[in-house]
Amino acid sequence: MKIRLVCSAGMSTSMLVKKMIEAAEKQGFEADIEAVAESQLKNQLEGLQVVLVGPQVRYLEGKIKESLEPQGVKVAVIDQMAYGMMQGDKVLQQAIDLNGEN
Amino acid sequence: MNNKFMQKFIEVAGRIGSQRHLVAIRDGFVAIMPLIIIGSLAVLINNFPAFGSFDLVKILNNIFGEGNWQKLGGSVWNGTFAVIGLLISFTIAYNLAKTYELDGLSAGLISIASYIILVPETADWGLNFAWLGAQGLFVAIILALLVTELFRLLVKANITIKMPEGVPEGVTRSFAALIPAMIILALVGLFQALISVFVEISMFEVIFNVIQEPLQGLGNTLPAALVVSFLNHLLWFFGLHGTNIIGSVIEPVYLPLIEQNANLFQQGMSAFDVPNVVTKPFLDSFVFMGGSGTTIALLIAIFIVIRKEKNHPYREVAKLSAPAGLFNINEPVIFGLPIVLNPIFLIPFILVPVTLTVISYIALSTGLVPKTVAILPWTTPPILSGYLVTGGSVRGIILQLINLAVAVIIYVPFIMAGVRAMKEKMGGQ
Repeated sequence: MKIRLVCSAGMSTSMLVKKMIEAAEKQGFEADIEAVAESQLKNQLEGLQVVLVGPQVRYLEGKIKESLEPQGVKVAVIDQMAYGMMQGDKVLQQAIDLNGEN
Repeated sequence: MNNKFMQKFIEVAGRIGSQRHLVAIRDGFVAIMPLIIIGSLAVLINNFPAFGSFDLVKILNNIFGEGNWQKLGGSVWNGTFAVIGLLISFTIAYNLAKTYELDGLSAGLISIASYIILVPETADWGLNFAWLGAQGLFVAIILALLVTELFRLLVKANITIKMPEGVPEGVTRSFAALIPAMIILALVGLFQALISVFVEISMFEVIFNVIQEPLQGLGNTLPAALVVSFLNHLLWFFGLHGTNIIGSVIEPVYLPLIEQNANLFQQGMSAFDVPNVVTKPFLDSFVFMGGSGTTIALLIAIFIVIRKEKNHPYREVAKLSAPAGLFNINEPVIFGLPIVLNPIFLIPFILVPVTLTVISYIALSTGLVPKTVAILPWTTPPILSGYLVTGGSVRGIILQLINLAVAVIIYVPFIMAGVRAMKEKMGGQ
């Protein structure tokens, strides 16, 4: 599953990405997860399934939704507590659940 | 808290944070930041302070001859910090064009060319460094935005040369920009010619005198520093990236102030005597220690208050946040504690930085502590940052330690209140 996390500079979110990859490995779940800046998103469209937006840039959600949802990409803001506690497993689950919705 | 007001606030902040032109300005500054930091370090090394008997500057002067080795740092400065106007004219146009999905490279190049057209020539046909640098920053920003908008209109209006099929894409692209570039540069050139013939002043002087200088004067005051500090933290309290949202407004005003300090420092003026107190590094190193809200002090306060309960939620968050906190990254503590929308932490989270801004302003403006003369990566840990931004002064470190102590003292009672509130909530269940 291809997941991209969007935040401002990619600093704190890349910490979370590491935790998510660990969680995915533990579950034997194949995931391609990276943190990117909003402006780089459009280079990542191929096979993209879920975009998670950092809570500190939640105002970008609308804009990203508008451009990506028509292409079938699911977009949501990362659960704030899970983000703060760097709970990779929870955020990964959020992405999986999101992808399962229709 | 009034929910409707809150929604409105987040909405407006969000709109500013994602406004196309402001984002282009902000990203333009982000793009040149590495060059600025390199230029800044070059100046620091050139003027490195002596450690007791170890005096790097003296040793190198003895080896290479007085002042020779410093030419290296001086040249690096010339190619980086000294020409930020020129650099920014490219990066802003590039980023803005990208948001319109236009050719960023073409827009950036047209913007640079327009900028040079307007730079006043020196008597011997040279470019004046003064206008290529920080003094030309506002012209660069305005011009980059205008030129790119014009470029967009012309491209959208299809005033371009069409190439037959089979011509390589690079060629097609450079020709697509040809006619828009020609029109834009002709207009800018005409404007420059008219101005120099009829009014005999340069656009640079006008914009510098009318807009940039007054704004900088305003920026370099305690009230302005307090407003910046307050706004940043209010935004963060709502969970929004404060520095990111107000960055597009802050950078153009504050960058020239630190440039002026660093430039004078480079020419041999002491860090005590440089003119500007309030700069971005001033806020970064003396106020935003450990990130916005001086959260490194909050972490220390948590470890002081909660010593016995090793797995208290606050302590857990503090432990988790500490490593990143040393490098001024504090999203974990902001969202994990949480500080966001937490009435207990609203007061200290805003009071601490405001207090520290006042203390630091007084310390620098009275000459107790040297002023800031360098820009560092914002991830530079406190203590090291206090030493370096002041051009290598232990007084910078002392001010940071005093500020940290004050911040810890302010945070402690609120953490105690938070712990109590949490216990009552647990007990009530």
